[in-house]
Amino acid sequence: MKHARILAAALAVGLIPIAAAAQSMSPMRGEVNSFTDAFAIRVFPANPYDQKIKVEIHVYDQDFQPVDARISPAVFQLGAQASRPVLVVVPFGGAAERKVRICTESIPFPNQQTQIKAQICGKFFGHRKS
Amino acid sequence: MTLFRTAFGAALLVACLDQAALATTQNVIFNGTITATCTLVIATNGTMTVSPDLQSLSSHNSGGSAGTVTLTTTGGVSLSVDPVTTTTVPAADTTATTWTPTYSSSGTHTIAETGSATSLTAPGADVVSVNLAGTKGGSNRFASGNYQATVTLRCE
Repeated sequence: MKHARILAAALAVGLIPIAAAAQSMSPMRGEVNSFTDAFAIRVFPANPYDQKIKVEIHVYDQDFQPVDARISPAVFQLGAQASRPVLVVVPFGGAAERKVRICTESIPFPNQQTQIKAQICGKFFGHRKS
Repeated sequence: MTLFRTAFGAALLVACLDQAALATTQNVIFNGTITATCTLVIATNGTMTVSPDLQSLSSHNSGGSAGTVTLTTTGGVSLSVDPVTTTTVPAADTTATTWTPTYSSSGTHTIAETGSATSLTAPGADVVSVNLAGTKGGSNRFASGNYQATVTLRCE
């Protein structure tokens, strides 16, 4: 049993970088079936820079209007070349299906005259099953 | 009897040798799936300079420079810029400014300067140049002081 736990931990540690390394956010597409009033998606924002950056996660609908989703965490510092999982729980809001964009946003070089905000958005489709 | 044992032993030996000589091959299958991905790495921010008539503050003006971003993608994504909503202007500037963000790309995808969304179907890497132009109409002019604007470059 102890060996199984160690093996599982090793596998988890080994798989996380494979899923997220060198990407600003993965996955960028997804379809989720849910039997509850909400659906959950786990995304992996990544920092491709050699410096720490502030990352914000936002959820928008198809018209880029903000969606009242639960994001854990929504704002965080991400170390150089690092990535971390972010859990997003999106309510269906009474609908049978919902399309949302989950966006990773950062301004890696603030306090400049013309700042560029990099925004990587994934498109996700939630289906509510009864 | 001796002859029988010798013959039987030799036959067994030959049979064993034959068994050992049988080689087998087995294929090991590797699978991998890559979903659509996009990475944006901002290399430099842009710089805007003012025109001689003080009605244009732009990265296109003399002395100005575009921001540069490295894009790497598997394809199957689109690139776009958002309208500028976040600006900081000096207190002396009380007149309206129209901000126009644009981008162009060189590399795998050659994109002429545009403000519209572009589909990137092929995998590859590009250098994206991001420009921003602020303009004033009529008798309005840019004032002295610090201006700052944020352009959102989106890959989705």
